[in-house]
Amino acid sequence: MGILSGPVSYLRFVVPSPADGFENAFCEALAQHAFHEIDPASDVERAAGWVQFEDAFASEWDPQTLLHASGHLLLRLRVDTLKVPAGTLKAYTAREARDRCRELQRDKLAKREMDVLKLEVKQRLRKRSLPKMALLEVVWNLGTGELRLLSTSKAAATLFTDVFEKTFGLQIRPVGLLTVLWLRGMSEPEIDGLSALEPERLHLLAR
Amino acid sequence: MPNQPSHDRFAFLGREFLTWLWFEAERNNGAVQVESLGPVRVEFGQRLVLESSGTVREDSTDKSEAPSLAEDARTALRVGKKVARARLLLDLGERHFELGIDAETLTLSGVKLPTLLAGEDDQRLEERLRLIDEVENIVDELYMTFIRLRKDAETWAPLREALRTWVLDGAQA
Repeated sequence: MGILSGPVSYLRFVVPSPADGFENAFCEALAQHAFHEIDPASDVERAAGWVQFEDAFASEWDPQTLLHASGHLLLRLRVDTLKVPAGTLKAYTAREARDRCRELQRDKLAKREMDVLKLEVKQRLRKRSLPKMALLEVVWNLGTGELRLLSTSKAAATLFTDVFEKTFGLQIRPVGLLTVLWLRGMSEPEIDGLSALEPERLHLLAR
Repeated sequence: MPNQPSHDRFAFLGREFLTWLWFEAERNNGAVQVESLGPVRVEFGQRLVLESSGTVREDSTDKSEAPSLAEDARTALRVGKKVARARLLLDLGERHFELGIDAETLTLSGVKLPTLLAGEDDQRLEERLRLIDEVENIVDELYMTFIRLRKDAETWAPLREALRTWVLDGAQA
């Protein structure tokens, strides 16, 4: 479920306003940190980068059309994972090892031979596999500085924060119990004053 | 912007907020008055998680149809637990929202938005963004209302006693 349909779950962040004329700089930054497919012939197990909001396979942005009509910047962070499950690798490697032993008329392979075989099997399986694709939707209101990440996963939030800060060079901060008050207009001295409060024990009668 | 210290330090405010909200919704027949919005109808939905605070957390989860009335939920209050997560139904004017909320972060999850009027994708998106802004505004303003009461010793003292009576007497009802 995403921003366009169904129930939404999201994390809130605040970001400083970008400088004027940010559109060109943002398009360049997005292109530099755009998503690139994983090469199955490599050892890379995860790739993360930006894609267009409407198209998970497109990574070009135009300053003229960067912002949605609503004034929001809509993005998706695509995260692909290509990993051969350990159990699968073990089963296929064992089968290959048995076949190899039969050919060589030996009872078993040496450890080094097994290690090499395992790598070969892993590469073959990677070429046969499709990566698992995750798309994290990002809705950024540049006017208010508030940003929503359409996920409540801590792992997703950590990855997103890292990629966002590297892309845009802006520090992003999660909105929590105190930041909400600041966003709603409470002054910092008033918020600081909350430090004096202690939890109430409502189940105990007053003395 | 305030520094956001370890969220554990202020997590109690979030739990006290949701517990207060439950109390207010019950004593005012579901209507919670918010200065900037007017009366907001609040109902606790099918999931209510109460937790004790401290290093060892225990939770009592109630998934009954009316968990706020269930004896287990009341008993949990009586032993000092407070609401950590809840499913809320909020009505403001003609708008109806259903959402999950986490007390320690005010994270909203599974937010069900009202049926849309717009048909085109672009218009749908704008309308959904406005509705998300609206439900967030309601939740934030409810929280602000609580914090204003909580931080003022004069308003908090009688409210605390009313809450205590509700926790103890309501559990015995």
